This record gives sequence, structure tokens and C-alpha cells, in this order.
Amino acid sequence: MKESKLGDFEETILLLVGILGDQAYAFKIAEEFETQTKRPVSIGAVHSTLSRIEEKGFLTSKMGESSAERGGRRKRIYTITATGQRALEISRELKMTLWNQFPAFAEGKLNFVFG
Amino acid sequence: MNNLRPPKLAEKFLLLFLKKELAEEVLGDLDEKFYWTIEKKSLRRAKLNYWYQVFNYLRPFAFKFFKSNSIIPTMIKHNFKISYRILKKNKVFSAINIGGLAMGMIVTTLIGLWIHDELSFNTHHKNYESIVQVLRKEMENGEIEVNSSHVSKLGEHLKQTYPTIFQKVAITFYRNQQLVVTVGKQSLERLGYFFSTDAPEMLSLEMIAGQASLENKEAVLLSESLAKTLFIDQNPIGEFVQINTSTQLIVNGVYKDIPLNSTFSDMDFILSMELIYNDDSPPTWNNYNTKIYAQLNDGVEAEEASAIIKDALTDNISEENGPMDLLLLPMKDWRLKADFNSVDGSQMTSNRVVFIRLYGAIGIFVLMLACINFMNLNTARYQSRGKEVGIRKTVGSQRKQLVSQFLAESVLYASVSFVVSILVTWLILPWFNGISDKDLSLPWDVPEFWLIGIFFTLFSAIVAGSYPALFLSSFSPLKALGGTLRQGKASVRLRQILVVFQFAISILLMIGTFTVHNQIQHAKSRPVGYDQEDLITVRGRSSEFYKKFDVLRETVKQTGMVEEMASANYPLMNTLGNNGGFRLEQNDAAYSFSFNTIFVTPEYGAATKWELLAGRDFSREHGDETQNIIISESAVEQMGLENPVGKRLISQRGMRDRQKELTIIGVVKDMIKGSPYEPPMPLMLFASEDAESYSFIRMKKGVRYVEAIPKIQAAFEKILPGHPFNYEFVDDAYSTKFRSEEKIGSLATFFSGLAIVISCLGLFGLSAFIVEQRTKEIGIRKVLGASIPTLWKLLSKDFSLLVVISSVLAIPAASYFLNGWLENYEYRIEITWWMYAIAAIGGFFIALFTVSYHSLKASLGNPVDALRSE
Repeated sequence: MKESKLGDFEETILLLVGILGDQAYAFKIAEEFETQTKRPVSIGAVHSTLSRIEEKGFLTSKMGESSAERGGRRKRIYTITATGQRALEISRELKMTLWNQFPAFAEGKLNFVFG
Repeated sequence: MNNLRPPKLAEKFLLLFLKKELAEEVLGDLDEKFYWTIEKKSLRRAKLNYWYQVFNYLRPFAFKFFKSNSIIPTMIKHNFKISYRILKKNKVFSAINIGGLAMGMIVTTLIGLWIHDELSFNTHHKNYESIVQVLRKEMENGEIEVNSSHVSKLGEHLKQTYPTIFQKVAITFYRNQQLVVTVGKQSLERLGYFFSTDAPEMLSLEMIAGQASLENKEAVLLSESLAKTLFIDQNPIGEFVQINTSTQLIVNGVYKDIPLNSTFSDMDFILSMELIYNDDSPPTWNNYNTKIYAQLNDGVEAEEASAIIKDALTDNISEENGPMDLLLLPMKDWRLKADFNSVDGSQMTSNRVVFIRLYGAIGIFVLMLACINFMNLNTARYQSRGKEVGIRKTVGSQRKQLVSQFLAESVLYASVSFVVSILVTWLILPWFNGISDKDLSLPWDVPEFWLIGIFFTLFSAIVAGSYPALFLSSFSPLKALGGTLRQGKASVRLRQILVVFQFAISILLMIGTFTVHNQIQHAKSRPVGYDQEDLITVRGRSSEFYKKFDVLRETVKQTGMVEEMASANYPLMNTLGNNGGFRLEQNDAAYSFSFNTIFVTPEYGAATKWELLAGRDFSREHGDETQNIIISESAVEQMGLENPVGKRLISQRGMRDRQKELTIIGVVKDMIKGSPYEPPMPLMLFASEDAESYSFIRMKKGVRYVEAIPKIQAAFEKILPGHPFNYEFVDDAYSTKFRSEEKIGSLATFFSGLAIVISCLGLFGLSAFIVEQRTKEIGIRKVLGASIPTLWKLLSKDFSLLVVISSVLAIPAASYFLNGWLENYEYRIEITWWMYAIAAIGGFFIALFTVSYHSLKASLGNPVDALRSE
């Protein structure tokens, strides 16, 4: 049985795919990840995650056009599927409810309860 | 532009494991990243990053052989789990296995670090590729000699004449000396290099403070450690330093200490060459007192440049000594290829290379010993593992799966051993540095080191694990479970061969260690021609010293502790100062060889206690001795004199300002001044009227040094206030001549000790299995009345025989290698039969002892226990 939950890193990558649109391929995603999060990541790690999300059915991919700086090689462009979109929405909703329950933010002041 | 391609090797490596269908997109992405990094950062970073990216594709999804529905990962996990349990179950055997393998890895790591250090000698200097030393090739006595000394004018001449070849020329004084460095009240003796202005930049000194400049001749550059000793926390830049109590210099810069594996590692400070060249003694074409290093221009090859400058010297000096060719020796050859053939002058590898090969061979052998242990122990376990194999096969295990199980085991063992070995190596490195005179450290941050380490670990695991894996997995389940499993003849034979091999190497190493130690002892106990005991050397450092020498000598003698004090222009420990051009009065031709010529004050003989063989010693009572000489017995032999005393010699070149006629008044026994392994240098001693720079103080027999030395020092301070009293015991100084051989000796002892321990560990484990296997047999024999000695003999006999065979193999090999090694020394031992015998008998008893533990345990046990099982 294939796991269909979305991990944290997977979620970020999935979002980046959405942001980048038709420029969503492994190298660009890794670059975008680094600029947005200020955290280093290897292309391999991103690629590995992409293929895992694809297996879960949240992404599809097809080979795109080639360009000179890649030595004429083509790139694999990823697009979010409907289930992918749905998974992102679920994840967002879950997080929003969690944020709303967090008293420091819900009530606008720090109000930790110990015990 | 070609350079701006991603590293080929990395690409190849990537394609090796990457799934075909991913190749295009991945290569494209990595290319894009590569060009992006070049633009944003640098080519170097881009290349490094490319490798990093490639390694990051070592992920299951990208792997060629990985199928997501395969059971391989689970199986691997399972295999390791089982292996771990097996490892935990047989603690003793796991310990023997891991201990042995770890020891092998320790030796290999240490040797690897040692060899790497040797090969990376001098690479610390940034201009490593382009630095050369200028050498001089000449004919002397029909032999080609290559020298490094040059006339003082040559360096300057080369720089001016060949600007297209030389970028920098660094001239240094030929004999760098211990100089007295004084700051305030503190005086130290340190080695200073005199250098011309190009040197600091050429040697790429890393400055910690100040300027790396010698433009000002009063400037001095200090090493970090010397600066710390002299100035502690104070900023040394701009401070004054006094050299040899007379010359005042200003600290211009402080450089980071030069690492131990550099030719210049002994350089404590740098002074300007201008201090030696001054108006009184300008550079000349006839004084061979400099060495020349140079940096070539980019693109200039040492060999081509040598051909161009070949005659630069002979063009400027009269050719009294025949042709003298100049040649350039690249820095990469200084350490390991700096010897020249005396017949055709060709470059040769030096002796050090022999040791590199030797240690390399030892490293590989010891690792092999460890792997053999592993193989032997695991095949010997066939009976207990046989059942397991039988069951697994009956249940449906394929042979492939069994093999992978056994390999997983050996990978686990090897990995644990690797971790253990790294930790132990790290712990013993300081000690190892001590015995090998190196400054090695584990390169934690060098990825290559780990890659090589992991490679060797897997390599040992596969070498050690493959045979047991194939052997154990080959059992037929019927036999394995039915109890009729019998060891194949072939596997027993193989095990025997391996044991023989192990002990042959151990015995070989033992004989080697023995020989090295004996050779050192032999040279140490060689008669030196004078008495080294109770004798100290003190250097004269100031003009005051020479002026007041006679008063000093009287005062020192008045302490009542001193028998005699004399001086000479050279120390007792080397053969500086050789001169040729002597002939007998009645002969026309001069002797073609040169003599070690030394000027000594008349009491030299009394101070050194040399042995007079004929004639008389120098004496003040004979008035003017300046035309008289004393020669050594080998000098007599060289000249072929019958009755040397009274013979007259003519010195064609003249010695100092003396007349050229000399009379031999005495003959002394040879004094060993140079290498204790070489034939003695013929000596010619001249009487000096004035004090010379090395003085020798003979203390009375039986005085206590703790009493005598302070009294002598007090006498020095009384006559020469401020003059440093740094003394050295002659016998101590002499023993440093054996240092490099002693290093070899202690390393060899260490390595062969470990080899023997590893072999014994193997034998120990093996005998345990054999005994276990024969428990029933022993029980039955005991019940039927076999005595303990009979049983012990029965069990030990087989192994003992193997060790005997090992000796038979080891001895001729040892004799071949060691005779080759000994040939390096003129003064050497002959290898005698008893050295072989001791090693062979030693090996035999060690083996017997190891085996006896288990055979005695088995023989002493209660037969009931042995027979009751099942």
C-alpha cells in the first residue's frame, strides 16, 4: 500500500512546483528552495523527493524542451495533479486550525499554560 | 574553454550507477548548476559542487539496480540483523575477528599516512612545481660527483644572465649554523638560514605579522615558535635581536612554522645573505660556500633549462678541475630522487624509496594476514554454521541469499574493525610520531581519506568474506543436517597454506627486526679512535673567546675537574673541510684523493685521548709545530707509505697561509668522524697556534657531571661574561648518528610485533575450533587411557609442523632482502645462522604456546562433559 500523506519537505517542494509553473524542474526547484528558505539542498535530494511525490500521485511529469546551458539536454517538468492540489489544501487547512488554536496568536498575546 | 566542462570523472561515476532513463535530465540539471556556480562563485567551487551533487544522487530512486518492489532492502536489513546477533553470540570469536582485522587496519593506516607524508614532502610550498635546486656535476677521481655547493658569485650571475629562465633566485649560505640569538637577558642557540631577498616569497612563507622582506640587511624574520619563545606575548615586530652577541638586527616579520615534511623545516629564523657578503668579503668566483635555489618562470621545464645553463660556471672560472656542468633538480625530486649514479651521472631513486616500498609491502602483508585470519576462522566454523545453512536451504533459501548473508556478516565485522582501528590509530598517533620522527595526523576533513578507508574496509570484507561465503553456502542440506558433513580436503589444505603463509611473514619480519637491531648495535660499538666518555664540546662564539682561550683553558683546568681542554676548527662528529693536492716531496704527482684536514691546538690529542700508533703527539715544548702534521692510519694506507714518520709532504694549494712543506711527525688510529657505517676518512691534522672554534673539554675520570659542569660554567662566566656556555656530550652527539636507523628499527619492531600478534590470534581461534571439533575424539581417547602429554602432542603436532614449513620458506626470503639492505652499509654485520635460528625457534614456540592453550584445556577436561552432549 502506498503512503499518501504529505511530508513537510514534500509539501514545500510541492508548493515550489506550483510557484514555478512551467519552469518546475529539479535544478530550478533546488535553486528556488535555497533562495526562499536560505537552506542548502542538493539537486539529488530534491529529485528524490519529486519522484516520491510523483509515485504518490500528487505530481505528473513530462520531458520538456532542451536548452544550450544544459548541453542540449531536455528537462523533466513537473506539474501538480488534482490530488496534489487537494493534498495541499488539506494540509493548509490542518495548519490553519492548529494556528488558530495556538493561544499566543489566537488571543494576540503570550499566554502559555504550564501543568 | 575546455576547462569549463564539468569534471569528466564525476560524470562517469554518475553514469555508472544512475538509471539510464534519468541520465538526460540529471546531467542537464547538474550542468546548469555547474555553469551557474561558475558565474556566481568560481570554477573550483563549481567542480567541487558537481562532485557533491553527484554523490547526492546516490539514492535508491536513482539507482540502476534498484527496483521498488524488490525485497533486497528488507533482506539486507535482515542480513545485518542476523549478523549482529551472531556477532553478539560468539563474543570471543567476534573479538578475535574484529581485533585481528582492526590491528591489520591500524598498521595499514599508519603506513599509509607515513607513505603519504613521504610523498607529499615539500608540497606545502606553493611554488612546489617550479622550485629547483642548482647542482653541479663534476668528475672527481674518475667518478661523477654531484655537489650542491657553489661559488658565491654564481647565484647573482644566473639571475642576471637568464631572466627568461629564472623568476627568482634564492642564495643561501652553504653551512647554516646554530647561532646565538639574544633578546634582553635571554640567549638561545637556534638554526638560522642566511638567504638572499628572493627567498621568503619563493618559499611562500605564511606571515603572521610584519613583512616577509629581507631588503634591509639588518632585517630578521622569526619563526612563530621562536618569536613566542623570545618575546612571549609582546609584539616582536620592530624589536631588536642580537646574533652571536655582536650583530644587532631588527625583527621584520614572523612566519608560521614550516611543517616537518619540508626541506626547510629546521629553519628557526632567516637573516640576510648581505650579512655574509660585505665589503670585506664580496661574492667571488672561487669560494664554494653557497647553495642556490631558484624558481623557474611559468612554462620553463627544469630539464630544458638545465641544458641552457649547463656551462654558466665553466664560462667564468678557470678549468682546473675539468668540466663542471650545472643542472637543475626539481623540488619534487629532492626527497626521493636526489641521488646520482657515479658512473654515468644519471639521476637515481634514493634509499628512502626502498623504505617506502618496504613499508608499503609490510602494510599490505599485514592486512592480508588479518584477512586470512578471518577466512580461516570462518571456514573453520563450518560445523556450527553447517546446521544453519542446512535449515535455511531446506526452508527454501537460495544459495545467492546465503552468500549475501555471509558477506553481510563480514561487512559488519570489517566496519566495526574500521571504526575501532580509526579510534586506536588516533590514540597511538602521538606515540607513533615519536618513533617515526614525523608529524602525522588523521586527516578527518579530507574526503579522499574516508573514501579510501571505506574502500579498504569493503575490500577486506570481500576478500575475507568471499571464500567462507562460497564455501559455507555450498553445503548440501542433506549432509549438513544429517551430521555427515565432512571437511573437504581442499579446504583443510587451503587453511594450512594460509597458516604457513602467515607464519612465514611473521618469521620474516622477526628476522628483519633482529638484523636491523644487530646492525645498529654493531655500528654503535665500532671503535671510534678516541674516548667519547667524559668529553664535552663547547662552541666559541665571540672574538673574546679566541683572544682569551689560554686564560680560559687555565681557569677551566683549575677547577680540578678537568684533565685537558683543546680546540679544533671542526667538530668531532663530521668531516667538514676536505682538501686534496698533497704530494710526497720526491713524487711529482699529487695523491688523487682528498684528506680530512683539521687544525687543532697541541693538546687535542690529550683532550680526545686518541691513540698514537707511531711517532709523537703535538707539543708546546717543541716550539713551532706549524709545519708538522699528524696523519691517521688510513691516510698512511691511502698514500702507501712504509715508514711515515719523518716523511715530507708538499701541499700544492697551501693550507691557510702556511708554507707548503709539511713533515709527518706521528700516526694515530683512525677516528670515526663521519658516518659510522662508512670507511674512515683519512685524516691530516695541523697544529694551530691560536684557538679554534670548537673546544673539547676532557673531564677527569670518575668526576660527577653535576659537580663538574657548574664549575666549568662558572669558569667560563668568570673569563667570558655574557658568552653562552652551551655544552654537548660527545657520546650523546655521536648516538644521534644512529637516529634514522633506530627509527627504522623501532618501526620494524612495532610492525612485526603486530604481525606476530595477528598471526597468533588467528592460530588461537583456529586451534579452538579444531579442538572443539575433536572434543568427542579426545573424550573417547581419554576414557580409553590416553595420557595428557599424548593428547597435547596429538593436538599440537599439526600446527607445529606448519610453522616449521613457514621457517623453511621465510629464511631464504629474509636472507635475500636483508643482504640487499645491508649492502647499503660499508661497515656491517654478516647475517649468521643463529639469527635465523632464533627467529624460527621463537616463531615455533610462540605458535606452540598459542595452540597449547586449547589443546591442554581439552586434554585436561572431564571426558564425561565431552561425551555427554547430543
